[in-house]
Amino acid sequence: MKLPINYQIAATYLTSKVKQTIVAVLGVTFGISMYVFMNSFMSGVNEAQNRLAFSTLAHVRIYNDRPMDRSDIVSHVFPAGTIANIRNSKVIKYTDGIKNSQEIIRYLKTQPLVSAITPEVNISVFFKNVGNKVNGTLSGVDVAGEDRLFKTAEFMVQGSWKELAYRPDGIFVGIELARSLSLKINDNLNILTADGVSHTYKVIGIFRTNLSSVDKAKAYLSIAATRQLLAENQDYVTDIQINLADFKKANQLVNIISPVIPYKVESWSMANAQLEAGSNLRDVIAVAVSLTILIVAGFGIYNIMNMTINEKIREIAILKAMGFAGKDIRKIFLTMGTVIGLIGGFVGMGLGFLVSDAVNHVPFNVAGLATLPMSYDPEDYMLAFSFGLITTFVAGYFPSRKAAKIDPVNIIRG
Amino acid sequence: MKDSILSASNLVKYFHEPETFQVLKDISFEVKRGEFLALVGKSGSGKSTLLYVLSTMDTDYEGKLAINGNPLTGKSQNELAAFRNQHIGFVFQFHYLLPEFTVLENVMIPALKMRRLSREEIETKAYGHLSTLGLQDQALKLASKLSGGQQQRVAIARALINDPSIIMGDEPTGNLDSKNSQLVFDIFRDIVAAGHQTIIAVTHDEDFAANCDRVLELSDGHLLK
Ligand SMILES: Nc1ncnc2c1ncn2[C@@H]1O[C@H](COP(=O)(O)OP(=O)(O)OP(=O)(O)O)[C@@H](O)[C@H]1O
Ligand SMILES: [Mg+2]
Repeated sequence: MKLPINYQIAATYLTSKVKQTIVAVLGVTFGISMYVFMNSFMSGVNEAQNRLAFSTLAHVRIYNDRPMDRSDIVSHVFPAGTIANIRNSKVIKYTDGIKNSQEIIRYLKTQPLVSAITPEVNISVFFKNVGNKVNGTLSGVDVAGEDRLFKTAEFMVQGSWKELAYRPDGIFVGIELARSLSLKINDNLNILTADGVSHTYKVIGIFRTNLSSVDKAKAYLSIAATRQLLAENQDYVTDIQINLADFKKANQLVNIISPVIPYKVESWSMANAQLEAGSNLRDVIAVAVSLTILIVAGFGIYNIMNMTINEKIREIAILKAMGFAGKDIRKIFLTMGTVIGLIGGFVGMGLGFLVSDAVNHVPFNVAGLATLPMSYDPEDYMLAFSFGLITTFVAGYFPSRKAAKIDPVNIIRG
Repeated sequence: MKDSILSASNLVKYFHEPETFQVLKDISFEVKRGEFLALVGKSGSGKSTLLYVLSTMDTDYEGKLAINGNPLTGKSQNELAAFRNQHIGFVFQFHYLLPEFTVLENVMIPALKMRRLSREEIETKAYGHLSTLGLQDQALKLASKLSGGQQQRVAIARALINDPSIIMGDEPTGNLDSKNSQLVFDIFRDIVAAGHQTIIAVTHDEDFAANCDRVLELSDGHLLK
């Protein structure tokens, strides 16, 4: 061994009481592996949740908000105190939908944050099959664009997503909607719009998104067929759905584009505040649990180091008598703590990975999942490792400072 | 006349536990380089206490201490530790070795700390001291596996490893039989004969004291002239 003497002493102390060293290492290992596992599991759950949510929710949505309140329009136009006599006032029909949708889409395509855009025509309708009537949403979609955003093709239980583009008479219905209206492939489905227009389509596909609110009240039509049903022009759009490469930047995009676009621009987190809250809460729980474990492990190390120092108090006194300074003694015990932390850290990352992988194989047949979700993010591993190292350093620091302050005469005098 | 290696002037020390009690009473003396000095006195007279003050380990005293021309009173613990490492070899009243290290490692540690020689040179030197003390075959055993007398001799080898100016021993032959006592005494004699190193040894052994260059006697905290 060619180590400097302080490290050589630390190494001898670590190896001469192997059992104690292993207990200390296990403490760190356990803390770090739990940290890795908890965080990987929680991020896995968050990712699964987001995947589920974003299967029907775009990162940013542009739509025509309801018109503002016009019930007291007079006070906006005339000075206060003006007496106006208006009888039987009427609000003129407000244009719905987005005008200049082509132009807006062209503008959005210039935005670097945007990864995909698709226009939609969404309307409320009644779905009728003979006597049964269910109200819901009819979504007229750009077939290719919709699939790019939401991977809708993967939801098809029967029929093929692409077919919708070639079949102006065809309609896709949610699996629970099909069940409640007793619909099978090739059955006829009658649609009744709010304006009283009625039209019959042929069921050519059935989909399941695993979100029951969608599966029981939604149907897809091609966007051209929907415009025809509403007797609208080829530019008519009610919603523009936008996806980003990084969904966390949705609010940033909203801030950039909303001053330019004269319609409501809404990010996923504005529309579904509970989604973000849930994901943040899970993160807090993961960090709280794993930090608690690390702190407990830290106290374990602190105790073991204190015990070791009490056992070795005479030897520390001899080392000092022979010319070792306080800082040498501190270095010896800090080295012990750091080595325990490093070994525990590496083993802990490995164990954390094994536990995560094992849990990732537990079957979990809910909401389109096959097994429990898990993420494997190197950042979680690095964080766990650094927290573990900091914990052992702090846990080793205070006992080693105590050791450095030992007065050799009092001990040697006996 | 040879120059002074150690000078103590007006050393006074109190213990405050369990009650205030003066152990060392105005002690002044000089030690010449190359001298072999015995410190004697009845049990409880303050010999060990004085030796700890002289060794710089105990800093809680009044008066002045200088070794090799360096005034040591009032220096910090870390400065004193470095000074001890280089200039003072100590043999304790009870053989205090590091039980988890081998005999050889115990002897080498003060030299590895000083880092003036390479590890190989230190090892050769340590083997040399161990064989003069009749311990060469014990070198690779754990220190805790040796008999009391053997451990005491290892402690002496350790005290010699850095060629200190002063070797202080608190009853260095206290645990040894007469044969080994004689061996240690002869080694000490050889060391001082070279003229560079000085030995101050507390002893109860009258033969040992009688063969030293000079004897200081402590009685109840006073130095008898
Ligand atoms: N830590 C201490 N606190 C209080 N009193 C002490 C302490 N250490 C020693 N004494 C007292 O100081 C006096 C001198 O003790 P010291 O150990 O120096 O004696 P000594 O001459 O070395 O004796 P011995 O020959 O038995 O080793 C004794 O009366 C002892 O009781
Ligand atoms: Mg004594």
